[in-house]
Amino acid sequence: MGTFIQLVVDGLATGSVYAALALAIVLVNQATGLINFAQGGMAVLSAYVAWWFTTLGVPLILAILIAVLFSFVLGAVIERYVMRRFERGDPDTAVVVTIGLLTLITGVCGWLWSYNNRQMPSLFPLDTVQVLGAAISVRSLGTIVVIVAIMLLLQALFLGTKLGLALRAVAINPQSASFSGLPVGRLLMTGWGLAAVLGAVAGALVAPQLTLTPGMMDTALVYALAAVILGGLSSPLGVVLAAWLIGVLENLAAVYVPFIGHDLKVAVPFVLIFIVLLVRPQGLFGRRSVVRV
Amino acid sequence: MAAVTGLWERTWVRWVVAALVVVLLVVLPLILPELANQRLARIGVFAVAVLGLNVVMGYTGQVSLGQIFFVGVGAYATAWAVREEWNIVLVFLLSILVPGILGLVIALAAARLGGLAIAMVTIALPIIGVPLAKRLSDVTGGSQGLSARFSDAPEWSGLYDDQWQLYLVILIGGIVFLLTRNLVHGKYGRAFAIVKANEAVASSMGISPYRYKVLAFTVAAVIGGVSGFLYMVVVQYTSPETMSFGHSITLLASMVIGGAASIIGSLIGGAYYVLVPEITNAIDPSLTALLQGALLLLVLFLLPGGIVSLPRVIRRALHRSRRDAGPQGPTASSPTRPAQGRPAAEGTTHTERQGQA
Repeated sequence: MGTFIQLVVDGLATGSVYAALALAIVLVNQATGLINFAQGGMAVLSAYVAWWFTTLGVPLILAILIAVLFSFVLGAVIERYVMRRFERGDPDTAVVVTIGLLTLITGVCGWLWSYNNRQMPSLFPLDTVQVLGAAISVRSLGTIVVIVAIMLLLQALFLGTKLGLALRAVAINPQSASFSGLPVGRLLMTGWGLAAVLGAVAGALVAPQLTLTPGMMDTALVYALAAVILGGLSSPLGVVLAAWLIGVLENLAAVYVPFIGHDLKVAVPFVLIFIVLLVRPQGLFGRRSVVRV
Repeated sequence: MAAVTGLWERTWVRWVVAALVVVLLVVLPLILPELANQRLARIGVFAVAVLGLNVVMGYTGQVSLGQIFFVGVGAYATAWAVREEWNIVLVFLLSILVPGILGLVIALAAARLGGLAIAMVTIALPIIGVPLAKRLSDVTGGSQGLSARFSDAPEWSGLYDDQWQLYLVILIGGIVFLLTRNLVHGKYGRAFAIVKANEAVASSMGISPYRYKVLAFTVAAVIGGVSGFLYMVVVQYTSPETMSFGHSITLLASMVIGGAASIIGSLIGGAYYVLVPEITNAIDPSLTALLQGALLLLVLFLLPGGIVSLPRVIRRALHRSRRDAGPQGPTASSPTRPAQGRPAAEGTTHTERQGQA
């Protein structure tokens, strides 16, 4: 029982990281209708920035805050100077552009900081606390708490502020938003910046565990995309729940199903997707989309 | 320029050019040095892989990030069957059947979600494929991989191994290219094009986007399998690294840079896949990813049709400058993509994203 609880909590922690990345993808998708495959790469770059500042002697928390700020600017700049050209065109081309960005950003990380593993210090101590006879790591708990807090903050931003209202208006109908005087371009930049911030937090939290490499988030990106498909692109809450489900299930499967083990657990969400797509193609929580011709 | 295109319209000119190309392909392996032959053979292998990707992505408009997975599966199937000492024809059939069936099953599920879901699902294929290949070590030889020598030149031919292998690649690859060209220029190609242009219009014309996406994806997987077979002919060794995520992305970049929805573009893509990493590695191995990403973005910004569209872009630029010199420049511009095989696609707008769940 102790192991089980431990596995579930650890699963929720990794699930939270996937959830943050998946929410970033949904955020961009809602605003621009495309999938940003570079989201993980951008997160890695931010994690590198945070790590680089810690090597300069900046306290970790401050370094992460700098990285978060950096990633906001990075997201906004990428939207303005790279993606803007492709947003109104063919979505397939835009997707290829994000894949080009992923390669480029990975390349930049590898070039600046080499492909060797770097040890990123952790925000949380490596201690465990005893709950119901299970040893639960503080790092897992901390990761969950931080990411849930950020999600709630974002939710408050989107629902409670004027900026959030404007962002939602742009996401629903950019043309009408533009007619009513909203600065659509700047709002899109803000949306991309916020998505990058989510990714940066996920990157900074997961880096100590995975050790920092340019391809660190490739697998996490795959999980996040799986969560996006399972949850449905139109449902942020569904995506978060799906990410947690994936995190917990893969952790349990890795330990309790001998054939899967730790190397094949990445297949778990896709077997799940396979079943869900055949039974409920709009995702577990998504709405069936209707296209006007 | 006009004289050249005029000449190209005539049937006999086309036949003469085709005959010249065939003669060149027959003679070249005999006179080129061994290294060049091997390089050409590898280009052929990956040109076939890019061609497969082009069927699903270039012609049908479904972004696939998993094409390399089918190449890898084809290579493993070949290596395994050769080890079991199957007849070579059966080996070939297995190497296209296994990826084909896998492709069909994956497409049946992935194509149910419209929009970019195929991209989101197929990105997982190389990421799952590598650990899976390591795990199934009884069949795949685990991390060590499998080697299979079955493509040495037979005695009677009097050829060197590299020449024989290049001939095999030219023959099999040539047949695949010819068949694919016929496929995308015929009835199915038109259906693919309309699915790419507008799914709602396709449905209204009785063309099921779902069915044609599945078909395109399966054909792509089969062609990937052929590429895997040829890979074993040339390289004679495969490991999980063959289908790594990085290779998958390079393959996609090769297709876009060579030219989407183009047969010639696939050839250029194959050349890009083999030659450019060699060049960037020679400059600085740690710069490879950076240069490749930058190159891909540069092409997307400046030359969205890929290298194959370069002559057309230059011709149009010349045309425009000549027209501007004239009394009055009408600004009617033709669509950037080649009009062939895309009837009715030009008038539709792309404002609605299809089937986004």
